[in-house]
Amino acid sequence: MSAVLKSPTANQIRAREDRGRWWRFLLVLVITVVTLVPIGVVALLSLLPSSTSTTTGVTFENFTKVFRDTLATTWISNSLITTGVTVLVSVAVAAPAGYVLSRGRSRVVSSYSLLLFVLQSLPIITSVVPLFILFANFGLADSLTGLTIVYVAATMAVATWMMAAYFDSIPVSLEEAAWIDGLSVFGSFLRVVLRNSLPGVLSTAIFAFLLSWNDYLVALVFLRSDVKFTLPIGVQSFFQQNATDWGSVMALAVVMMLPPVIVFVGLNKYFSVGGIGGSLAGR
Amino acid sequence: MPWGAQAYSDASKKVTEAYVPEGKNLKAAWQGIQWNNFYQTFASAIASKTGPAVSTGGGFQAYQFAEQGAIAMADDVVATMKTNGMFDDLLPGVLEGFKTKDGYVALPWQTDMRVYWYRKSLLEKAGVAVPTDWPSLLEAGKALKKIGVIGFCTGSGAGNFLGNHWAVSMLINNGGGVWTPEGDIDVVNDRNQEAVEFMLEMVSAGAIDPGAVGFTTDNMDAQWKNSKTGYGMFGAYLPQRVGDTSGDIVAAPPLTGPNGDKTALQFVNNIMMYKNTPDQASSEAFVIYYLQQLKGYWQQALVGGLPVFKSITELPEFTKDPNAVQIVKDYSPIAKTFAARGTASTANTAVLDGGQALNKFAQSILTGKTDAKTILNDFATGLKAAVK
Amino acid sequence: MTTLTGGLSRARRGISPGGHGGARRRTSTLKAQTRRTFLGMLVPSVVLLILINGYPLVYAAVQATHDGSLIDAGSFVGLDNFSTVLASGAFWRAARFTLIFTLVGVFGSWAVGLAFALLLRTRIPGRGIFKVLLLLPWVVPIVVSSTAWNWLVATADSPVPRIFEALGLGSPLFLADPKLAAVLVCVFKVWVSFPFMMMMSAGALAAVDDTLYEAASIDGASSWQQFTQITLPLIARPTYISWILMTVFCVNDFPTIYLLTTGGPVDATTSLVVYAYRSVFQDFQTGPGVAVAFLMTLTLVVVSVILYRQIRRAHVE
Repeated sequence: MSAVLKSPTANQIRAREDRGRWWRFLLVLVITVVTLVPIGVVALLSLLPSSTSTTTGVTFENFTKVFRDTLATTWISNSLITTGVTVLVSVAVAAPAGYVLSRGRSRVVSSYSLLLFVLQSLPIITSVVPLFILFANFGLADSLTGLTIVYVAATMAVATWMMAAYFDSIPVSLEEAAWIDGLSVFGSFLRVVLRNSLPGVLSTAIFAFLLSWNDYLVALVFLRSDVKFTLPIGVQSFFQQNATDWGSVMALAVVMMLPPVIVFVGLNKYFSVGGIGGSLAGR
Repeated sequence: MPWGAQAYSDASKKVTEAYVPEGKNLKAAWQGIQWNNFYQTFASAIASKTGPAVSTGGGFQAYQFAEQGAIAMADDVVATMKTNGMFDDLLPGVLEGFKTKDGYVALPWQTDMRVYWYRKSLLEKAGVAVPTDWPSLLEAGKALKKIGVIGFCTGSGAGNFLGNHWAVSMLINNGGGVWTPEGDIDVVNDRNQEAVEFMLEMVSAGAIDPGAVGFTTDNMDAQWKNSKTGYGMFGAYLPQRVGDTSGDIVAAPPLTGPNGDKTALQFVNNIMMYKNTPDQASSEAFVIYYLQQLKGYWQQALVGGLPVFKSITELPEFTKDPNAVQIVKDYSPIAKTFAARGTASTANTAVLDGGQALNKFAQSILTGKTDAKTILNDFATGLKAAVK
Repeated sequence: MTTLTGGLSRARRGISPGGHGGARRRTSTLKAQTRRTFLGMLVPSVVLLILINGYPLVYAAVQATHDGSLIDAGSFVGLDNFSTVLASGAFWRAARFTLIFTLVGVFGSWAVGLAFALLLRTRIPGRGIFKVLLLLPWVVPIVVSSTAWNWLVATADSPVPRIFEALGLGSPLFLADPKLAAVLVCVFKVWVSFPFMMMMSAGALAAVDDTLYEAASIDGASSWQQFTQITLPLIARPTYISWILMTVFCVNDFPTIYLLTTGGPVDATTSLVVYAYRSVFQDFQTGPGVAVAFLMTLTLVVVSVILYRQIRRAHVE
């Protein structure tokens, strides 16, 4: 609301709003607490001792156990590397493609956009086995490189659209000025358009981040050696025949939650910028 | 595969890596895989020729992969076992099921028995005896329900197959089953109908919890641990599993069906060899070695199944658990498999074990809203659609 | 077909460097150069797309028309798998649940997400913290949150049934009753997905000019009128996009359903993707299972095409 408005009506509205804000705060607080109950359950279960333990009450033994007895630190670094590379490569590939989709208006470009959509509509569960067989031919089975390639491809359709949607909002006059200054099409894209698209790039990056950070369907088939596991597969390894080590699952789950939360807290100020919404796609 | 906690995987890796081959045979490397989606993992590995030479396997995958031409038959291993005394050391009934028309598809390494358990203090409180047949099972269920606990603990929620297992075990316990001795589908018959009607009566009498259809194994663990149930079916080693070895949770005797059948249900977990191996002789030598090392798993209490070798059941570490001894004595001799009324399993047994039809069958019974005839007909239709 | 993508991809101002503005005055060599550059910029994504998305599609087409297994291709059976699937009651029951699940998933999460976005748009102490906290359901791995939900509802002794009992509403068994299980899965899906819709809506709302509301208030429009006559039309385009994306996510959503109920009890929560999964990996019916996935994809494409048209219309208006 603009502060320069001086009309009494506007002031009245404003006064009413000030009285209302604490009520709304209370409302949002209550809803948020209710919504987060399942998350609280995860946190609670991670702090309860396992059924075979002699400890009672709240304990951090699940965390110490996970970090002492399993390859948790390796898994964390695998996840970070896979996710980091996925994010960088997706943006690097999707941004130019998105630019073409945004600026090009030929039939080819339009059909390509549709093709992107059709090809990624096939559920991952039917494509993961053929992909594994294909990758095994190139020695990319049980490899984080192979996994990263799949993740990049999986992000491609949505990432390209997201970038295209953001470039749509960048006035073409910026590029026109650059062309007159003698920049090539690609040069102007790189130096002018991309530089002004930070929120769009961040949205796409967050989308790719969440997709590769949380995936377990692909990784489950692709990864075999425990030293190559990503975190979701590390969590899976606590599931045995008819039994599950829930304490370890929950402890590792809490660890898994932290990076996305840190990312969101860090990028919080961009949330009010339009376009970031698309970043959460992917499930 | 994770047949037990992390310690099992560690031990299994150690055993494999400690293997010193004789002569020209190759050494072995160890690889653990995830329990979830194991079929997908094995199938994609085999199809891409990155599969193992030797593996344990879940469910009935040996039969399936054999049908698809990926399994190396184990007849030579069986022949070797006959010469070195291992064959005579096998418990009855653990090997026969693997003999198909092409040969032995796999070798047993442990049995996963479905065992009836009771909580002594609760049966005493309810004033009923340990069930030995169907009427006493129903009676005990009702009595337990009266004192506010679950009369018969089972479940078929996400990832829980114990409900499926109980349903099939009851068919078998009435002389029925899913297959003819020749291996064809035979679901809709009088014996099976009688069994389903009885299970439905257990549900309508409240002996089985109305929520059972949604219970996971974790829910059931909690019910046993927290004395919320007095009787039910589980795997061997339930007391250890739920951390109550006070002696209050006791293995009950197998039930006798209304037509006098005394049976139990077991799954024989197995180890198989694949055709995609660098050297078949090395695969065979390794399997023999591995089977000879099995006793360590029971000495260190790392697995949840029962041994397949008599010599292991005679180890002091094994005999110190009276429940385990009783199960081997009472259940093993009368145990049948999912192949009943046949003896040898086929790829179709895998469809029964993992498929949608059985799960729906068990869930329909536990929901208790459909009559026996319809349930059996649906089961037959579902199976026929999936079986080749 | 070209119009479909036009709405989403074309620049709002509809200008391309080779054919407009300053570039127009240049020679045709620039046009050719632009075309080459554009092509070059597309190449990496085209290669990835063909290799990683195209190859499995072809592979799946082969599977769907053969009677083989995952390991063995089997022999060609034409469209037999499709006719088998279409004739089965289980397929149509799964299709019905998929429809319900998707409708609730899309519109439920949209309504909740939009409500939160509107609330958090007003001045509330600590709203930045709320925004991050409310994202958590989306961020937590499903394998973990499904466990937490199971813990909350599974047995009569679980917290939620106890609360119902205390309120005199009986003691519902959410995972045992087919209807309640269906409701539970849908609610779970809304819980998982609303943060996405909240973010989409927040982004769209940020572009709406506040002074419009002030003017409307002065004119005496009620809050509801302001919402339906100002807010909704202004956020129509991003809303349609979010619906399309969420439709794809819902139809293809395997873990949310499978980890909570595995499709039970008695198939009550079996959606098409769960049905396809169970056919392929549990019944070992590779052909029919993949055929189900194909039919699903086809339907999805058709639905999205219709929604794209809507986007374009919203754009034109």
